[in-house]
Amino acid sequence: MDYTSKIGMDMKGVKIALPKEFYADGIDEDVRNAVLKAADEFKAMGAELVDCSMPSLKYAVASYYLISSAEASSNLSRFDGIKYGHRSEIGENFNELITNSRSEGFGDEVKRRILLGNYALCSGYYDAYYGKAMALKQKIREEYAQIFENCDIILTPTAPTVAYGVNENISDPAKMYQADICTVTVNIASLPAISTPCGYDSKGMPIGMSIIGKMWDEATIIGAADAYEKNFAYVKANI
Amino acid sequence: MSNYIPVIGLEIHSELLTKSKVFCTCSAEFGGDRNSRCCPVCTGLPGTLPVINQTAVEYAVKAGYALNCSINKFSVFDRKNYFYPDLPKAYQISQLNLPLCINGSVPIEYEENGEKKTKNIRINRIHLEEDAGKLVHDDLNGVSLADYNRCGIPLIEIVTEPDISSAEEARSLVEKIALLLQYAGVSDCKMEQGSIRCDVNVSIMRPEDKEFGTRAEIKNLNSLKSIYRTIEYEIKRQSRLLDRGERVVQETRRYDDNKGETKTMRSKEDAHDYKYFPDPDILQVNFTDEDLERIKNSLPEMPYERLDKYVNKYGLSEVDAKIIVNTKKISDLYEAALEVYNNPKSVANFILGELMRRINLGEISLDNLPFTPAELGRLVEMSDTEKISKNDAKKVFRIMSEQGGDPEKIAAAEGMLISNDSGKAAEMIDEVLANNAKAVEQYKSGDVKVFGFLMGQCTKALKGVATPKVIKEELEKKLNS
Repeated sequence: MDYTSKIGMDMKGVKIALPKEFYADGIDEDVRNAVLKAADEFKAMGAELVDCSMPSLKYAVASYYLISSAEASSNLSRFDGIKYGHRSEIGENFNELITNSRSEGFGDEVKRRILLGNYALCSGYYDAYYGKAMALKQKIREEYAQIFENCDIILTPTAPTVAYGVNENISDPAKMYQADICTVTVNIASLPAISTPCGYDSKGMPIGMSIIGKMWDEATIIGAADAYEKNFAYVKANI
Repeated sequence: MSNYIPVIGLEIHSELLTKSKVFCTCSAEFGGDRNSRCCPVCTGLPGTLPVINQTAVEYAVKAGYALNCSINKFSVFDRKNYFYPDLPKAYQISQLNLPLCINGSVPIEYEENGEKKTKNIRINRIHLEEDAGKLVHDDLNGVSLADYNRCGIPLIEIVTEPDISSAEEARSLVEKIALLLQYAGVSDCKMEQGSIRCDVNVSIMRPEDKEFGTRAEIKNLNSLKSIYRTIEYEIKRQSRLLDRGERVVQETRRYDDNKGETKTMRSKEDAHDYKYFPDPDILQVNFTDEDLERIKNSLPEMPYERLDKYVNKYGLSEVDAKIIVNTKKISDLYEAALEVYNNPKSVANFILGELMRRINLGEISLDNLPFTPAELGRLVEMSDTEKISKNDAKKVFRIMSEQGGDPEKIAAAEGMLISNDSGKAAEMIDEVLANNAKAVEQYKSGDVKVFGFLMGQCTKALKGVATPKVIKEELEKKLNS
């Protein structure tokens, strides 16, 4: 597959979908305006803007964090101090050794995700959490498929706000997870996406937009991002 | 003890005979120096990606066809999560909800109170999974070490329905499944190398009960004897409990081969929650009808097909045919010998007589025969075509069993070959008669008893030239002319 084959492509007639949920409440106004302005620039290049909807977006963060934490809890199991990972000095048998190694070796966020993932996979809770998350994954895939029936690419913000400060949200993990809302659905639906700067907020912080493509269609999103970037005026961040 | 009905189900794990492991390219051969047959994938190095071995998938499907299963065209691999030092990823890649094969059945034959019986045991499912490593306990230094060579060897797990009612039925089922897997060419089922292992679920119920009793699972039995003894022991143990008005507890038990009894390993409360979920690293399996047709057609001749052929085409008795079929190596030897000398009855007789005798005496082993099937076939042919006498054929076979070799060369070296030159035979008989003119006179004057003497003289003189049968005919002709 040649990812570069559409660099220099003509945006004329390219259909760009704008799912309304990605521009609704919870998205900063500066961000929304910057991405919509980029959409207008595409339109000026001859692209066609299409309104559409992704009703399941409101469940995306929950299902993403259930699925990814479930996978992470299993992926990280190998760091048990036997063959991989930190090994504790304390432990009379392998159960104690594994428990102590993992308790000592992992940090808070990793432990949080392991606990969340294990909880979602436990028998008795599986259907309510992991099972539901997988059903939503299917739903989100279907909604994307529907949008792509009459569009070529989808344009969304990359994040609902500009970057927050170091340690700013550290005590509120749910809020941090929520900041991923614009990007998690492509992972759930196995779609390619590219993020590129499209403007600055009032304080000069950069704003990014995401161009999402059909499955295996990396070439078109790279071509579209290149077409936009050619006319974009970069400003050196003033931090 | 009251009369209880045992209800038994088996989970049989069998290693597949693929060259490489199920998710990497390491050798899947048994043995090797410790940790010499493992790689970043089968030892679960962070960041590695397993890729499924298509041959392992096909072998599992073949096993399914051999056990009369339906094949799921869409099949998924799941992770079974648990911590144990012989499992470096801390999860086993296995199959839960969508296994490769479902709904099979295996006919068994067994004896009960001296009576021959048959029964069908239903197979619930067969799924494909990876084996774990092995822990080596060094008591001298007080350490346990892990050997990962076995990690990632492809295994199938065959789960039966609880259709088994006795230790004898269980034993004949395991034997039958092992035979079918051997014929299918997917597993060698060597119990002593752990390539087939068994978990047994046993419960008992009273004849009037509507529901099954509480079951105990006994894990990791690796011989037919231990399967048999475990079941016998469990039935007795559970019967005694019920007789005393106590209850059977649902638990996992371990069999102690030295004591011949089972012991609690973990109770239901301590049972693992394996937190199964679909493995996101492994592609789902999608078969087309053509794929399945091709795999089904690649199944070699199965034991029941050979049995039918031996009885109905070759005219062997059912008893003889079964003896040959029930050991694949003997059946393969028989088939290959027939390629050289196509006399099924005669070759079968030699195998069932001389070959089996020497195997049973422990003089030769089927794993390491010193002669080829073709050499065996040629020996039987030499005997049948009277190139050597029947007695000498046995002597030649003894030499072949001891040191191997070409039967013709051995017979020649031992002076056992018979040339069957009729011209020369007639000439030599004339010579014998000329040297025994008196006896010939006696015979011609009516003393027919002297024929025996003349026959003896001729046999001695004509050793290696003609068979006794030819000599007798020729002698009679000459004396009566």
